[in-house]
Amino acid sequence: MDLNEDDVIQIIKYLDESSFNELRLQVGDLRIVVSRSGNLAPLPEVDQASTSTDPSAAYSPPSTPLQPVDDPSSVPVQEVPEAQPHGNVPTDQGQRFNITSPMLGTFYRAPAPGEPAFVEVGAIVDEDTTVCIIEVMKLFSTIKAEKRGLITRVSVEDGELVEYGQVLFILDLDAD
Amino acid sequence: MAAIKRVLVANRGEIAVRVIRACREMGVETVLAASEADANSLPARIADRVLCIGPAQSAGSYLNVGTIVQAALGSGSDAIHPGYGFLAERPELSQACIDNGLVFIGPSPQHIETMGDKLAARQAVAAMGIPVVPGSGLIGELSKASAMAEDVGYPILLKAAAGGGGKGMKTVHRPDELATVYREAAAEARSAFGDDRLYLESFIPNARHIEVQVLADRHGNCVHLFERDCSVQRRYQKLIEEAPAPGLSSDLRERLCQAALGIAEAIRYENAGTVEFIFDQDKGSFYFLEMNTRIQVEHPVTEMTTGFDLVQEQIRVAQGDPIGFSQSQVVPVGHAIECRINAEQPWDDFRPSPGLITRWQPPEGAGVRVDSHCYAGYTVPPYYDSLLAKLIVTGGTRMEAIARLQQALASFHVAGVYTTIPFLASLVERADFIAGKVDTGWLEKVATFGGNET
Repeated sequence: MDLNEDDVIQIIKYLDESSFNELRLQVGDLRIVVSRSGNLAPLPEVDQASTSTDPSAAYSPPSTPLQPVDDPSSVPVQEVPEAQPHGNVPTDQGQRFNITSPMLGTFYRAPAPGEPAFVEVGAIVDEDTTVCIIEVMKLFSTIKAEKRGLITRVSVEDGELVEYGQVLFILDLDAD
Repeated sequence: MAAIKRVLVANRGEIAVRVIRACREMGVETVLAASEADANSLPARIADRVLCIGPAQSAGSYLNVGTIVQAALGSGSDAIHPGYGFLAERPELSQACIDNGLVFIGPSPQHIETMGDKLAARQAVAAMGIPVVPGSGLIGELSKASAMAEDVGYPILLKAAAGGGGKGMKTVHRPDELATVYREAAAEARSAFGDDRLYLESFIPNARHIEVQVLADRHGNCVHLFERDCSVQRRYQKLIEEAPAPGLSSDLRERLCQAALGIAEAIRYENAGTVEFIFDQDKGSFYFLEMNTRIQVEHPVTEMTTGFDLVQEQIRVAQGDPIGFSQSQVVPVGHAIECRINAEQPWDDFRPSPGLITRWQPPEGAGVRVDSHCYAGYTVPPYYDSLLAKLIVTGGTRMEAIARLQQALASFHVAGVYTTIPFLASLVERADFIAGKVDTGWLEKVATFGGNET
């Protein structure tokens, strides 16, 4: 199986220039999955009988993040370290929604120290519900939920520095 | 003052890599403030920590003073290195560092302000008895420009008071061009600096751009690290820089360096800076142009000839240490030349060429240094400047350096994006360049064959 690094880069480029989110390629016993999002759906079961188990058959270039996909939990070909779903887009499950930080700053769960948090896990929020405050240089911005749903997770500790695009809360949009 | 332990690097690209490496050698930790587009870049991979500070557009990320300072405070950094460009010459960041107990690795807000107003700097330097190009004060309005231009004599150069870097800078050859060019220059200055004040200078046709690197600490020590020649320019953007300046007499070199030192000492400058001069080859005289209050893109040629690490010196001086060497220890050896490798299509008016780099094979070997953030598989984003790499070569003599540069450019292989490599390779084989007979208008003259070839 001849597939060199340039070939893989070409594959990534084709995906990048296309309108598709994911590309799966099988050539002989080598399979490659490339994804835009970093969220890969599990690969279909492979018929072990038709798949070579010879490890030398697998193409594994040194010191690159490319690796053969022989495991459903395998990472995307183009490695994205600590991939964060940036921006407020629904996840692949469809009913989940990530509330992300629109700026880098300090995350506060409550309007003032000692006061109850704006929201807790289990709270039902709607578009206008304030979920937290982000402070940048003494400027306090209130962050709204933007969607109606149930808070299933608070991803950040009170007082923590959050980055632009970091997930703050996870909403379940179906629970109502 | 306590030693700096953790530096927030408020920049991207090759200079972010450069600063991170300098910090690492000093045992200083680094936090990279990266935009969303740069969150997986090479500097992001080699920094100890990365903070995503905002979207790809620099107005919401690299140009946001509040966010940069918050990133430094929130990550426990004790200093900010601004690199060049972005906030490097904005007094607001230097001031915000002081206000928040952070060390700004650069000069004070007052120094940045003094030299940032190019017209005020010119007047201050003239008052020190250092020659400046004959020119006007603030023009104020177009109706006054005509008389001022007649006074100075055509051709003239219109310049923005608010800043350098070629923005708002335009040549006027004849009186009938003045009105049109004035409006263009004012509009360009307004969009680049939010300030359309202009002044004018006599245009010197047979000129070289020669600049002097200075370094000063708060203990009153001030040294120069000799000059760089940056005459190979396109639209006032430098493409090739070298040290020492070819053909400069030792007498002129000494006078230039002393003038630069005098300016830095007079304003009690601190940290690294560059004093730029224009050298009139017909008259054999030089004039002050401007002072840049930051590390410059072309600093490596000075490092390669003097042996000092300027970024590390910036950090030492910023934390209150005296400069690590004296003037007599600055003894330049050999010759160094830097080429800027940009993602541009040189035969299509240098149109930017962002995209996926599919092959990246820089030259290697003795006397070759490449400062870059690129690798095969890296996508050059369309949001920022097009600098991919700086190729720096050294040689015992200028001829050795040129021969090495020709070899290095020939073995620098990049695919996926267009680069200026083939264009640079053709330039450094030209007789004028090899003979060191290049003025600031040279490149425009020899490059027209490319620009019109469509």
